[in-house]
Amino acid sequence: MSGIIKVENLSFGYRSQEAILKEISFEVIPGTFLAIAGPNGAGKTTLLNLLCGLLSAQAGSINIDAAPIESYSVKELAQKIAVVRQEFVPVFDFTVAQVVSMARTPYLGTFGFESQADKKFVNEALEMTDTAQFRSRPLAELSGGERQRVFIARALAQNTPILLLDEPTAFLDLKHQVGIYDLLKTMQLEKGKTIVAVTHDINLGAQYADVTLLLGADSSYHYGCATDVFSAEQIERVFGVRGFTGRIDHEKFFIPLGKFAKDSSQIDRKPDSST
Amino acid sequence: MTEMLISGKLAVRVVICLAVLVVVMCLCAVVGTQEISLKKVFAGPGEKPGENIDYEIFVGVRLPRVILAALVGAALACSGVILQAILRNPLADPYILGISSGAGLGVITAVISGVTWSFWGGSPMAVFAFAGAIGTVWLVWCIGRFTGKSQVTSLLLAGVVINAFFSAVIMFLTSIAKSDQLRLTIYWLMGNITEKSLSVLGVSAGCIIAGIFALFCISHRLNVLTLGEDEAKGLGVDTTRTRMTAFGFAAFITAIAVSLSGLVGFVGLIIPHGVRLIFGPDHRQLLPVSGIIGGIFLVIADTLARTIFGQEQLPVGVITAIAGGPFFLVLLAKYSRKVSWLK
Repeated sequence: MSGIIKVENLSFGYRSQEAILKEISFEVIPGTFLAIAGPNGAGKTTLLNLLCGLLSAQAGSINIDAAPIESYSVKELAQKIAVVRQEFVPVFDFTVAQVVSMARTPYLGTFGFESQADKKFVNEALEMTDTAQFRSRPLAELSGGERQRVFIARALAQNTPILLLDEPTAFLDLKHQVGIYDLLKTMQLEKGKTIVAVTHDINLGAQYADVTLLLGADSSYHYGCATDVFSAEQIERVFGVRGFTGRIDHEKFFIPLGKFAKDSSQIDRKPDSST
Repeated sequence: MTEMLISGKLAVRVVICLAVLVVVMCLCAVVGTQEISLKKVFAGPGEKPGENIDYEIFVGVRLPRVILAALVGAALACSGVILQAILRNPLADPYILGISSGAGLGVITAVISGVTWSFWGGSPMAVFAFAGAIGTVWLVWCIGRFTGKSQVTSLLLAGVVINAFFSAVIMFLTSIAKSDQLRLTIYWLMGNITEKSLSVLGVSAGCIIAGIFALFCISHRLNVLTLGEDEAKGLGVDTTRTRMTAFGFAAFITAIAVSLSGLVGFVGLIIPHGVRLIFGPDHRQLLPVSGIIGGIFLVIADTLARTIFGQEQLPVGVITAIAGGPFFLVLLAKYSRKVSWLK
C-alpha cells in the first residue's frame, strides 16, 4: 500500500539558522499510528507544521494522498488533515459545541451555516470523545484534560483521514494521558485514521504507536517500528540521558536515571533484550 | 444561546430586532423640541408646500436624522465587532487603528483651508474626513504588513503610533485655528449628528448596508480567526485574505460613518460587548444583531442629545461617552481578570 503521507529528503531551517531538519524521508501507511519523539529543539513541532502546510519545505517534498502538499488550497488541506495543537484558551467565550462546530468550516457554503449532515458529524464527535455532557459550557471553564478531549473532538468532526497532534498529553495527569491515547487508538482502529502524534513520553508513545520517528538534536533521525526505540544506546544518543530499559511481557519501557538516582547501578546493568 | 446556531433561528432574532429598531425610530422621530401630532403627519403633505408643517418636520427633518443615527450606529457597532475579532482583542474599537485621528486630521484641514467644493452632495468636511480615514487605515495596514510576521501585534502598534502622531498634528492645527473654526471642529471631534440631504443619506445607506452584508458573509470565518492564526489555517481559513477583507470593509463603513457624524465614541466598543454577553460570541449572530442594536442605541442617544437642553443641541458623542464610560470600566474589570489576548 502506498503512503498517505510521503516525505522525501525534507530539509528545513529557520531564518539565519542552521537547518534543524536535514534530508528526512519516511512514508506513513494509511491507518497507522506514528509517534514523533526527540529532545527539545530537535524540530518535532517544526515537522508537524511542515506536514500541515503551515511552513513550507526548503528542500525535498511532502506528498499528502499522492499529491504534493503545495497543490492543496488551505481549504482542501483542512479536509485531509486535522491538527490538535498544544492547548490554549480562546479570547472569546465560545462553548464546547461552538468550538467543535468550527471543524466544519472547510465544508460550509457561502453564508457559513451548518447543515444537518454537519451537525451529525459534530454530535458524533462529541459522543465519541465523551464531551457531549459539557457541550454548552464555555471552553475556558473546562479542565486541561477535558479541553484536550474537546480539541480531539473538533479534529474528529473535521472528518479528515489524517490527525496531527502536538503533545496531546502535555500537562495531563497519568489517567488523562492514558485516556487520550486510548481515544486516539480507538480512532485509529475504528475509523481507520492515520495518526501522527508528537510526544515527549516515549513509553506511552511506544505502547500505542505502530511506528516511531526519533529526531535527534544533531539533525539525525531514526524511523522504524515503535518498539525499536528502546535500545539504551539509541536513547542515550538521541536524548542524551542514561537510564534503564526493560520489558514487562510485551511492553518495553525506559526510565531515565539521573546523577542523583537512588539506584544508579541500574544504568550499567544491561537489560536482557534476547527474551 | 449556547447551542449551535440555526439559520432559521437567527433570521427570527434578526427580524425581531429589526422590528424593535423600526418602532424606536418612529417613536424617536415624533419626539422633539417642536411638538408634532402623529395624526397630522398621517394626513399627508397637503395640497401645497407649507400647508402641513408637522408632516414636513417629520418627513423632512426628523426621519432623515433618525435614519442617519441608525446607520451610523449600525456601522460603528459592526466595525467594532470586526476589529475585536481580527485583532483578537475584546477592547478594540472601530477607531483603534487610526481612523479617528486620520479623519480628524482631514476635517481640520478642510476647516482651516476653507475649501468649499463638495462631492456627491457631501460637505468638504465629510469628504476630507472620509479621505483621511481611508488613507490612514491604508497607511496603518501597510506599516503593519511591513514590520512583522505577527500581524496582529504590529497592526495594533502601527495604529497606536499613527494615532498618537496625528493627534499631535491635530492639536497643533487646533491651537493655530480661529475660534469660529474651532467650534465646528470640536463639535465634529466629539461626534455630532446633523441633518443631511437625502442623496447623501441614500448613498451612505447603500454603502453601509452592502458593507455589513459582505462582512456577514465572512463572519463564520471570523469565528475561526479568533482562535488564532495557526488554528484558523488548520481549519481551512485563508487567514490573510479573510483578515484583509474584514479589515477593508470595516474601515470602509467606519469611514462613511465618521464622514457623516464625526467621532461618535463608545458605540463600537460597548454594543458588541453587550450583545456578546447576551447572545454569545458566534459572529454570524453577533454581527447582524450588534448592527441593529447599535442603530437603536444611537437613535436613542441622538434623540436625547437634541431634546435634553431644548433648542441647544448637544453633540451625540457626549451622550454616548457618558453612557459608555462607566460601562467600559465595568467590562475592563471583568475581562482583565480572565482574558489572555495576543498570545
